[in-house]
Amino acid sequence: MRIFFATDIHGSEVCWRKFLNAAAFHRADVLIMGGDMTGKAMVPIVADGSSWQVTLQDRGHVLSAEAELTAMEKRIRDRGYYPVRTTHDEVTAWAADEAAVDARFKAEILGSVQRWMALADERLAGKGVRCIVSPANDDMFEVDPIIAAAEHVELGEANAIAVDGISIASTGWCNPTPWRTFRELEEPPLGERIDALVAAIPDPRRAIFNFHAPPHGSNLDAAPQLDADMKYVAGGQALVPVGSRAVRAAIETYGPLLSLHGHIHEGRGAVKIGRTLAVNPGSSYEDGVLQAALIDIDARKAEVKRYLLVNG
Amino acid sequence: MATMTDRSGGGMGGAGGGMGGGSRTPAGPALFLRNATGLVKGWSGFDAFVYAFLAVNLVTLGMFYSFAVTGYVPDGSPIAAIVLSGVAMTFMCVAYAGLIAGMPRAGGDYVWQTRVLDGIPGAVVGGVFGFVTAWLAGGALALGDTMSLAVGAAGAVAGVIIGLWRGGVGFVLSSTGWWFILALWAPIYGFILKIEFIQPLAALAGWTDGVDFFNTGNGTFAASLIVIALTTGLVALGMAGYARIQRLSFWIGLGALAVMFVLMLLGSQDSFRAAFDREASSLFGVAGGYQATIDNSVANDGLALRSLDPLGFGGGTLLLIPFMLFWILYPNWGATLYGEVRGSGDFRRVLNGMLGGLWVAVILGVAFLLLAAKTFGWEFFEATNVSYVNYAYGYTTTPPTIPIWGYPPLLAAFLIDSHIIQMVIVVLFGAWFLGWTGTLFLSSTRMIFAAAFDRILPESAGRVSDRGVPWVALLLIMVPSVILSWLYAYNADFVRLTLDATLVIAVTFLGSAVAATILPWWKPALYNASPMARYAIAGIPLISIGGAVTVVVLGWVIYQWLSNALYGIGVGNTSSIVFLAVLYGGAAILFVAARFFRRSQGVDLDAIHAEIPAE
Repeated sequence: MRIFFATDIHGSEVCWRKFLNAAAFHRADVLIMGGDMTGKAMVPIVADGSSWQVTLQDRGHVLSAEAELTAMEKRIRDRGYYPVRTTHDEVTAWAADEAAVDARFKAEILGSVQRWMALADERLAGKGVRCIVSPANDDMFEVDPIIAAAEHVELGEANAIAVDGISIASTGWCNPTPWRTFRELEEPPLGERIDALVAAIPDPRRAIFNFHAPPHGSNLDAAPQLDADMKYVAGGQALVPVGSRAVRAAIETYGPLLSLHGHIHEGRGAVKIGRTLAVNPGSSYEDGVLQAALIDIDARKAEVKRYLLVNG
Repeated sequence: MATMTDRSGGGMGGAGGGMGGGSRTPAGPALFLRNATGLVKGWSGFDAFVYAFLAVNLVTLGMFYSFAVTGYVPDGSPIAAIVLSGVAMTFMCVAYAGLIAGMPRAGGDYVWQTRVLDGIPGAVVGGVFGFVTAWLAGGALALGDTMSLAVGAAGAVAGVIIGLWRGGVGFVLSSTGWWFILALWAPIYGFILKIEFIQPLAALAGWTDGVDFFNTGNGTFAASLIVIALTTGLVALGMAGYARIQRLSFWIGLGALAVMFVLMLLGSQDSFRAAFDREASSLFGVAGGYQATIDNSVANDGLALRSLDPLGFGGGTLLLIPFMLFWILYPNWGATLYGEVRGSGDFRRVLNGMLGGLWVAVILGVAFLLLAAKTFGWEFFEATNVSYVNYAYGYTTTPPTIPIWGYPPLLAAFLIDSHIIQMVIVVLFGAWFLGWTGTLFLSSTRMIFAAAFDRILPESAGRVSDRGVPWVALLLIMVPSVILSWLYAYNADFVRLTLDATLVIAVTFLGSAVAATILPWWKPALYNASPMARYAIAGIPLISIGGAVTVVVLGWVIYQWLSNALYGIGVGNTSSIVFLAVLYGGAAILFVAARFFRRSQGVDLDAIHAEIPAE
């Protein structure tokens, strides 16, 4: 069984398209998206008479033809942002009305996830590929039912999905971050959540953990230290472990054959924790590069045969 | 032009996933942000400056490896050479800042070269590089012109093949520059520790046996082992703690430098001469040390006495630039950019940090030379340096007048007639060493991790202990460091390979400069998605201008190093060429062997960089 695992694409449309094509490209049997699939930013494209104005990465653009507009929207989406056609008045109103911004963000995020699931259904139909998508801490809860409703995508969160006799158990919940995002828990309740999930698995040693938070102190969780004002300490040179102790304890206790993680984009790597291969492919979604892990599993022996971290 | 900011708070369901924030342009908000992991409020350009400034280390590298050799080019103008080197490195900073902003997080020559130098560019770079390395090795081994050309051609073919394999050129150039050669830097760091810290303190404390011991091979080896232990310990402790040490070292070092500058500014040449004569007699039993130093260097080292012309541009000025690069090549050393790159402001901050570190070091370097000429006297300054360098590197058997190097902070401290205060000044200057030395093995371990994650090295190379210590990676740099330190201490030929340490890193930077130059045309999607895309001069992308000028500068400097006997590491030095060939050949063999070994395991390393079609 070959698994293609990617994570933290944060709204990058080109990365999602590559993810869906990865099954054919790398001859993978199972696609797993580890979460944080929704974007963080919204870019207004403002109507100005017969043209449109947009600023992307500090660079202003005036667009007149629909083809230009469409190309710009694609460029924005590929970077992981949401392009929004709007008016000066609306943008001015948003600047003073956080609720209006929230509402529009929500609409864009959910609309995007719906489009992505439709694309997945279209591309994966008849391919015999299992596709598991597990939202994570940056993904609002409303995306879960959209994923669950997709015909060729299985919702990972809180589920243990059996593939070739191997159980793939997923959760996108993480230990607390400085940003207080959607799915965060203190370590003890996070541990309880994981224990409850694993309890449903017949044999944890024949399991794959797909837990968004990396294990603490594994080097897969080395992130730039932040000060109290949310600024990088020492220009980002000071790296500190920010992973989950509960996740580490679960790996050490249950000894799954493989443990898949994300969350820390800088934490690309693969390490052994006991018998378990723990992997974080990292993320470079802004570059349009899909970082991922390609893992061959011997399902009969419940072993990792080989793995490779790829940059597609 | 505004930088995006974000704020926490607000709320929209769930566990407090607040939304809001954004940036503004004159026309209104350009972008709205929601609260999400990884978005930080700011990135300090000052931090980038500190790291660049410590890397372009005026005291540890500049004072000895660049300023102490000016006497070898009597018609060269040191100040003009420093300024020209600064200008040249400015272009390199532009190229690197562009790569960093275009490919953040990736953060390193290995990833940049691997991503950009594939296909034809990879083959060309690999071919040229393979030819030059093999051809030089053939010449060094006296194979004759025809045979050397044949060996060079074989090297070119091998280079083309490796260049066509994805990741090949990137691995060879980066592993040599960020891993292999750093083993040679361990004894260089040890040597610096010896001449700038241990021996001055030993002399001031009256520990003459200590001074003598550290002038032996055993002493040199011991100093290297101290550095290896220190840097290993710092990696084991983690960068978070060391970052605080670096910041503290920065301020202490600057304070110490200010004290030295004030002493030099207030002291006259006569008062310094009297002070030096006093201390040479008191510490080393040498009478009339000042004039004796000059006489010794003229008689035994062939020094041509001269004065410093601040505005001069002598015929040999350009030949000083390769020496200056030993100090000034590294403003990009600690350059990273974590987090989300949102706009050109990020590029400017990275660039400004690097340029700040570079040009403050340049200005301080020029100021130091002017003060040295004023207070020490330029004749004495060059004499004491040439005498010591010639003896330390085995070019003469005549010892210098005093048995330690004329470490400028120590010389300036002589103006105060108190050994205690002199020791305090030397100790404070140790901050320049402490704030700089910790990154020696850190860079290597990061490269080793990258190679392990790309399956070129065994999985164990990427392992960390429960406390996060990468012991295997540390061993992979420590063991060769100890071996090269031993060679450095006990083999006179090997000491003369010192400049190779910079040459190999310059070759790595050259590879990244090529990548920066071709990026807009070879990887247009990547380039156009980066904040660099808005910067062009006469329609030519700024990153390409920076890259191309850097290619020319580094290409010329490398040519000089390899062809001009002045530098001692080129074609006249068989050991140096063989050493370089072993280094690059070893990296190439490691890559090829890993490729075939992984293939036997069913792992195709080509898949690492194979781009998945989006449509």
